[in-house]
Amino acid sequence: MAMQALINGFADVLNVYTILWICVGVTIGYVLGVLPGLGKATGIAVSIPLTFYLEPVAAIAMLIGIAKGSAAGSAVSAILLNTPGEPSSAPTALDGYPMARQGKAQKALKMGLFASVIGDLISTVVLICLAAPMARYALLIGPVELCAILIFSMTFIGGLSGKSLIKGLIAGAFGILFATVGMETETFIPRMTFGLLELDDGLPLVPIAIGMLAVAEMVVQAGNMRQLDKETAQIVESTKPEDRVVLWSDWKRCFAPILRGTLIGSIVGVLPGLGASVGSFLSYGATRRASDFPEEFGTGRIEGIAAAESADNAVVPASFVPLFALGIPGSVIAAILIAAFVLHGLTPGPRMFQEQPEMVAAVYASMLCASFILLIIGYTGQRLFAQVTKVPIRLIIPCVLFLCCIGAYMETGSIFAIYIMLAFTVFGFLAKKLDFSFVTFLIGYVIGPSAELSFRQSLQILDHRWVGLLDHPIALVFVALTAVILVVLARSRTRNINSLPDQTAGTNTTTGGNRETS
Amino acid sequence: MKHLNRRTIAAAIAALTLGLSGLTGAAFAQDYPTKPITMLVGYNAGGQTDLVARAAAKVMSDALGQPINVVNKPGAGGGVAAKTLTQATPDGYTIMFHANSVVNNAPFLMKRITFTPDDFEWGGFITVYQAGLITQKDAPFDDLDGFVKWAKENPGFNYATLSPGARMIMSEIAKKEGLDANFMPVKGGGEMINAILGKQAVMAMSGGIHAKYPDDIKTLAVLTTFRQPSWPDVKSIDEYGYALSMDGRAGLMLPKGTPAAIVKRLSTALANAETDETFIKITGTANIPIMYLNSEAAKGEMMRTYKEYGEIYRKAGVEPR
Repeated sequence: MAMQALINGFADVLNVYTILWICVGVTIGYVLGVLPGLGKATGIAVSIPLTFYLEPVAAIAMLIGIAKGSAAGSAVSAILLNTPGEPSSAPTALDGYPMARQGKAQKALKMGLFASVIGDLISTVVLICLAAPMARYALLIGPVELCAILIFSMTFIGGLSGKSLIKGLIAGAFGILFATVGMETETFIPRMTFGLLELDDGLPLVPIAIGMLAVAEMVVQAGNMRQLDKETAQIVESTKPEDRVVLWSDWKRCFAPILRGTLIGSIVGVLPGLGASVGSFLSYGATRRASDFPEEFGTGRIEGIAAAESADNAVVPASFVPLFALGIPGSVIAAILIAAFVLHGLTPGPRMFQEQPEMVAAVYASMLCASFILLIIGYTGQRLFAQVTKVPIRLIIPCVLFLCCIGAYMETGSIFAIYIMLAFTVFGFLAKKLDFSFVTFLIGYVIGPSAELSFRQSLQILDHRWVGLLDHPIALVFVALTAVILVVLARSRTRNINSLPDQTAGTNTTTGGNRETS
Repeated sequence: MKHLNRRTIAAAIAALTLGLSGLTGAAFAQDYPTKPITMLVGYNAGGQTDLVARAAAKVMSDALGQPINVVNKPGAGGGVAAKTLTQATPDGYTIMFHANSVVNNAPFLMKRITFTPDDFEWGGFITVYQAGLITQKDAPFDDLDGFVKWAKENPGFNYATLSPGARMIMSEIAKKEGLDANFMPVKGGGEMINAILGKQAVMAMSGGIHAKYPDDIKTLAVLTTFRQPSWPDVKSIDEYGYALSMDGRAGLMLPKGTPAAIVKRLSTALANAETDETFIKITGTANIPIMYLNSEAAKGEMMRTYKEYGEIYRKAGVEPR
């Protein structure tokens, strides 16, 4: 994309009308992101008909604004309430909530926003510069390579399983088990659907995530209501400036995690079939592994927030790369946006760049504007939302539960989704009480179906011969990496257990709460 | 006394409600519609059918003077939405826009879907799906006969299967010609295109999305009974001698018992889409041809195809699961 075209694009976008609609989009997205249960997919799907009446560029910019805003907003509820607004912000809660309970909510929120905006901005620039070449490269990543990458990412279960590796693995296995529900992809036989048509397409992620992450958390908090309220009264929002702003020393610690998160998020976004949740989990896991103090993660390390949020937001623009360059949606959002693009006269795909270069440039320019608007709106909005920490929990719980039901209902428009949400609330509650990691459960659940599909595809591509793997060097690299990590992981585990017998007790007291470690 | 009173009141209310509903029943056919209409779509927002549905909803709501809310209720290829439709009140305020495959294909593939054309009223079809067998532009064959010849020399080729129907077509060709095909599962049209562009599969069945890639993908055979507008020179699979063609159409389905006058009203409103500029533009950019059938023609088409397509699947030995 030539610089000149982009400048012309800005000329098209920088008018009150377009900027106003981008602001509207980012604000809607941010608020939807903050509210547990409601998410970007719902927001965009509902908003598409509203954009019929807008100019094409304003309409598309507004929808992209929703996507960007909600990816950032979901960090707010993760940090303040321990209930991620979207599953992709679940890792943010791991360190964000402890920070908020220590009175450093402002700092955590700011870091989350900055990481989101940086990840978003860089990923948008990546999209603009590399849409065409990267998409061609993405096609080299076929099922065989994807399968190897997915198996590799499953090793992160080991890194994220908390105190007990066995429990982490069990939770991960449950995730994979639930992912097998639905129509089997090769012979089209329904599995574990118990004759319910609603289960043919599998258990939907949104109600599961809402049930496990939000509703179950509310139940746990309701059980600890008195205690939490007492604590809330005690948490004096720290007035010390070093707890309210992001210091240079914090930046230094977060610089590498943000860049790593952006890179991981961009790659995950470009690859089809993964999605924001995979991106933020991988980034969190990688940062934890790279850290000198991996055992302190989960107690309020600011890098954890930076890693998760930068990747979460970087996925959004990157998932437009295959959409713009090939017309293939890289994410649910991108798939929904295809309809919006076509309605407004822009058919995503390679010819889009030749047929409507001005429009593409304008869309790019509006995406960059959206990043900056996100910074402003997020920064203002946070001051407002941060007040939530002072609200007694008995007022928060009913509001959150109400939103959860709406969110679960809206995606498929059926009561069935609410039943699924309730079932997984029980599951999530037990998991929390028995200290099983829901993070590894979600990794298993999110990666499971893609891993199964790509494995079956690989079998066909390799014609059932293992030697065929030699033709896929990228896959071989990841298979080797998987083996190495497994060995390293196993060795460090045994060493840790021998040398640090009471380490877990130590971390528990530093969180300052009696919450179950999630 | 108190009890009696309460019962009397209850009876009075019941009588009133009955009377009222009887009244509206008689009146609504003329006044229809007096309130917003809900349009179910059995696919996710953002897909081809959803796109057409939303565009059609706009045209129809202009004609009817009431808003039409599109509600996506995905699941089981439209089976979930169609089941919801059968349970809706047949008053014309709950309608469904969908592919007719949910009635003339799905019951032969899925045991739990038992719809027949008689379970619905048919409000007309507006667009057709340009299903076809596709391959890369630079593949060493240009039509289905060429492919069969190539495949005989290259056993173990990969065929991307998007649906049970897609699998059935290649199984039939392979059975007849003695080909050795590997069936590679793919999920969704986007991934199917990926498999072709990335050369992981040499052939795939596409539901029509490939029209967006004229520079990279060529069509070997179309799977409809007619030649398709986007590829007038490509022969249909019947012309190649395989008797496997099935026409997929998108249009309005209504709950059984919807008054004939309302069905007619909706069918006429849908007809406006044929000449509506925005609708033509939207379907045109997405390469979805418009072929309008009114409600009677649609009903006839469903009765005929339900019988014929069931026969195709039975002959192929495909059992509903």
